[in-house]
Amino acid sequence: MNRVGFITFTGREVHRFLSLYNQTLVPGLLTTVLYIVVFGNALGSRIGEIKDVAYMHYIIPGLAMMNVITNAGSNSSSSLFQAKMLKFIDDILITPLSGMEVATGYILGGMLRGVINGVLVIFVGMALTGMQVAHPLEALVFLIVVGWTFGAIGLLIGIYAKSFDNIQMLMNFFITPLVFLGGVFYSIDMLPPFWRQVSLFNPLYYMINGLRHALLDIADTPAASSLLISVIMAGLATLLGATLFTRGYRIKE
Amino acid sequence: MSDLAVNITNLHKVYKEGVVALKGINLQVPKGQFFGLLGPNGAGKTTTIGITTGLIRPTSGSVTVMGHDVVADYRQARSAIGLAAQELNFDWFFNLETLMQQQAGYYGVPANVAKPRAARLLDEFGLGEKKKVKPRELSGGMKRRFQIARSMIHDPDILILDEPTAGVDVELRHMLWDYLSRLNGDGKTIILTTHYIEEAEKLCEQIAIIDNGKIVTEGTPQELVAGMNSDGLVIEVDGHGPEAEASLDGYVVTRSDNELTISTQQPELQIAEIANRVTAAGAMLKDVKIRRTTLEDVFMQLTGRSIDE
Repeated sequence: MNRVGFITFTGREVHRFLSLYNQTLVPGLLTTVLYIVVFGNALGSRIGEIKDVAYMHYIIPGLAMMNVITNAGSNSSSSLFQAKMLKFIDDILITPLSGMEVATGYILGGMLRGVINGVLVIFVGMALTGMQVAHPLEALVFLIVVGWTFGAIGLLIGIYAKSFDNIQMLMNFFITPLVFLGGVFYSIDMLPPFWRQVSLFNPLYYMINGLRHALLDIADTPAASSLLISVIMAGLATLLGATLFTRGYRIKE
Repeated sequence: MSDLAVNITNLHKVYKEGVVALKGINLQVPKGQFFGLLGPNGAGKTTTIGITTGLIRPTSGSVTVMGHDVVADYRQARSAIGLAAQELNFDWFFNLETLMQQQAGYYGVPANVAKPRAARLLDEFGLGEKKKVKPRELSGGMKRRFQIARSMIHDPDILILDEPTAGVDVELRHMLWDYLSRLNGDGKTIILTTHYIEEAEKLCEQIAIIDNGKIVTEGTPQELVAGMNSDGLVIEVDGHGPEAEASLDGYVVTRSDNELTISTQQPELQIAEIANRVTAAGAMLKDVKIRRTTLEDVFMQLTGRSIDE
């Protein structure tokens, strides 16, 4: 393994999003504050409690997961796509880094941006609503696993994308609906039976459910099965991403 | 252990769209050689370099670098090469200093070695004062200098330069020539593709001409030129062209009105003889030129085009 190379490349990925903090860290915080103020305060008083938890608290795990997912996914997808479009990816391909090392670097960059955003949202939620975190370590595990999963999915998007529109389209038509239908703003118990069954096929539902258990100690499904599903998704996406990257799919001729 | 820096065997490349870029290339570049790869646009130069450096996958055949296969032992093979590509594309997020250090890191060079080396290379290429600047703020010539400086950051045994002097001014071209000669003198193997015949003649010990995916000839610049056999004299007379031609019985002469081209291996030794005969035939000499075969002639002869096309 090229240890120095791998650390340097992962460091580059982290350095990139940290230096672009007003595009990569600030927007998530801003929308979280808006969601909490508008949904939590204005709507929350009419919805009341879900499973004995104030609505304002209930939505925070969903908001945190939404930020983890979109940030992790956009980081690896746009970083890889820029390197492809501006052709400086060649500077990486000529080095002794393996496809697996580069793929993992992209995924780790996405994961870290996701986790940082998730943690920030949780802190903002705690500050604005007085929420207490029930199981901090469990929360961190969920943030990391989900951040990893979407770092890997973002890598797949970045490999596949031939234009920025491709990336936007995949984020808008694929990830955003799954996030919203995954129970960010409601419990699936509130859905009609048919849609409740459909929701059970949405992997993001389990991720949000898992974080909700970690933060608030309430769950629609056991947290362990949520974690298992997240880990399986992370593994599959990583394997596929690393394989495609190693083969040079849409990267090397 | 082989003495070859690069060994290319029966290399073929067919692109996805069906374009056949390489049709069985064989090239051996010994360690320490200054090697030139010449060819018109689209001949296969960049594809050959792309496969050697890991940017393009070969369809069949093999390339080894310092004895390591570029596919199976890619880590060792790539570590041995520094590449200055034809196009100047840089990561636009970071400044020169950071980009140099990152590139060193990708090659496994630890930071305590990379930092002083990056500073030294930037200074050597006159970019010391630009180290905090991002590449897109550099002029074209500075970008080229940066790219070559960066290709040396892991101290590779082999330096590959794809059209390094395309579009650079004369001063920078001479600076690069000096630098490359010095590196070669220090034992680095250098592989250069170029459009500038003068550059190849001046720098390269061995030259291969590639056209249409095949190596059409290979040799030292002297061998290639000697093989052409087109040295001679060109004389212009003040009328009496046919009489002058007739007086040169025994020489191979082609005449265009009052201009005569005489083929001879040692034109400088034949000037007096030819001048005497022509004058005796009643023609006045207006101009005499010695014609030496150049690589450009070799190139034209073999590829049917000028290198600048």
